[in-house]
Amino acid sequence: MTQSPTTFAPIPARTARFRLTQRTRRIAILICLLLLPSVALRLFTAVYPFFNTIWLSFHDWNPAFPPQQFAGLKNFQALMRDIAVTSSISFTVLFVTISTLLEIVLGMAIALILHRAFFGRGVVRAINLIPWAIPMVVAAIGFRWMYDTQYGVINDLLYRTIGVKVPWLVDFWGARAAVIATNVWKSTPFVGLVLLAALQGVPQDLYEAGRVDGTNRVSAFFYITLPLIMPQIVTIGLFMVVWQLAAFDLVFAMTGGGPGFATQLLAYRIYQVAFTALNFGYASAISMVLFIVVGIASIIGLLLFRKVEVSL
Amino acid sequence: MRLARVADGALLAIAVFIFLFIVLFPFYWIVLSSFTPKYELFTIPPRYWFSTFTLENYQVLANSIPLARYFVNSLLFAAGSSLVSVAAAFLASYALARIQFRGANLIFIVFVMSIALPQIGGLVPLFELFKSTGLINTYHGLVILMSSLVLPFTIWILVPFLRQIPYEIEEAAIMDGARLPQLFWFITLPIMRPALVTMFIINFIIAWNELIYPLVFATSGSNKTLSVGLVELAVQPTAGGGRPWDLLSAMSVVMIVPILVVVLLFQKLIVSGLTRGAIK
Repeated sequence: MTQSPTTFAPIPARTARFRLTQRTRRIAILICLLLLPSVALRLFTAVYPFFNTIWLSFHDWNPAFPPQQFAGLKNFQALMRDIAVTSSISFTVLFVTISTLLEIVLGMAIALILHRAFFGRGVVRAINLIPWAIPMVVAAIGFRWMYDTQYGVINDLLYRTIGVKVPWLVDFWGARAAVIATNVWKSTPFVGLVLLAALQGVPQDLYEAGRVDGTNRVSAFFYITLPLIMPQIVTIGLFMVVWQLAAFDLVFAMTGGGPGFATQLLAYRIYQVAFTALNFGYASAISMVLFIVVGIASIIGLLLFRKVEVSL
Repeated sequence: MRLARVADGALLAIAVFIFLFIVLFPFYWIVLSSFTPKYELFTIPPRYWFSTFTLENYQVLANSIPLARYFVNSLLFAAGSSLVSVAAAFLASYALARIQFRGANLIFIVFVMSIALPQIGGLVPLFELFKSTGLINTYHGLVILMSSLVLPFTIWILVPFLRQIPYEIEEAAIMDGARLPQLFWFITLPIMRPALVTMFIINFIIAWNELIYPLVFATSGSNKTLSVGLVELAVQPTAGGGRPWDLLSAMSVVMIVPILVVVLLFQKLIVSGLTRGAIK
């Protein structure tokens, strides 16, 4: 550590007088000072709440009736019997799986299109950024209006083209499909953006070599492009999974979890239990489920990433 | 051969057209609805072009909720939290990227991994903590929360950026007798300006769009942001059971326009910032 080329190592005249220990101590203090604001922010708003949630999940606590009481595993036993919770877990997993798969496939298509040269490509690339940039609540409310069974434009377009109308947000599967479609609409361009950047990093001479060997465009994609950008696909996939597991705004503004519990996502359920029912202990237990699911997804993702990296 | 190329071009054009239609049509629909009088919104079939153009929805909206107040709140909240997160991340990434010490990489990884902690899972303890410390319904309380949320991502982008910059520039300054504050202010800051501006813009957009924190921690009227105002308008029951799609559309437009301006002005920066982490 002492001979390492720190930025402050080559200060010949000033530091020569200090003994080694003094110098390292000064650097250590400097490091702490530089890290302090960030560490303090994260401890305060992410680490402390995380551990306190674990603690609270074993307690009964309604803020209207103050004393927290130890409840053991009661909250966890309750949530396993709670249909609102179990169905929100299964819909969350379904929502995240389908969304992520669609986002990667469609995002790849967008990336391949925007990678090619055509007139106006710059403008189209800029437009691709817009769904990422607009608020999820705006997308949710806009789509809710468009999905309106009677007056909605989506049903009108469907009726004009294929002659059917779907009772989108009042039907169990209709609502689920509508929520997932909106999420995919909002998030796919971002995946496309990342995959486009990945495509731009693939060296061109590989394709030329492939062309000499007589590969066509399809096999070039599957044998050159796809293996090379697999690490980025896995990274963005992991990102989308972890991020979407905590999705809240969409369902809050679009369906309120309905009809029934059809579109209750786990995060929305937590919010409901905590801030509508004011059942803080129980909400914390449900949060634990979310933490565990996110943890499992992260571990699978990281293992997958390592496997992809090694195979390259 | 030529025929194949023409067909290929036609396919590409169709794909681009479908893509643009799917992305842009919802915006068109929101904007159109916001300029359509209420009674004309509920027609079967819906109208695809203006039959009557009106600004009335915006007027009604501004009269029924404190729109300007919400707008200013959103602006201050987004700008304040972006400033704090970029400043804190700048200091931290300087330590992590520029000073070699054991554990630097570990700290970096812990920061980055904490992106995965779901915000909503820790909301209950935070709520109690904020209530007991008087931070609830305060502007700085919201800024603390939001800046912390985007901090790991900001550090994730800034550290590799800083590592790419050669040490020699700073060494030369030290040789010339620069002390740490001067080094920071006159050498490192200017070098990092593009990355810092990029992260400020991205964090601004994310904070502008944020819903959960303002929804839970800014419940008094004077603190609400546009996103909270919008969902309140959306869940409010109205006479007849229908939603006020005219007002909701107008408010959506108010909320989108600043973001669109920022995106179109800074799209190159935003793209480089968003993709750098994933591509490395």
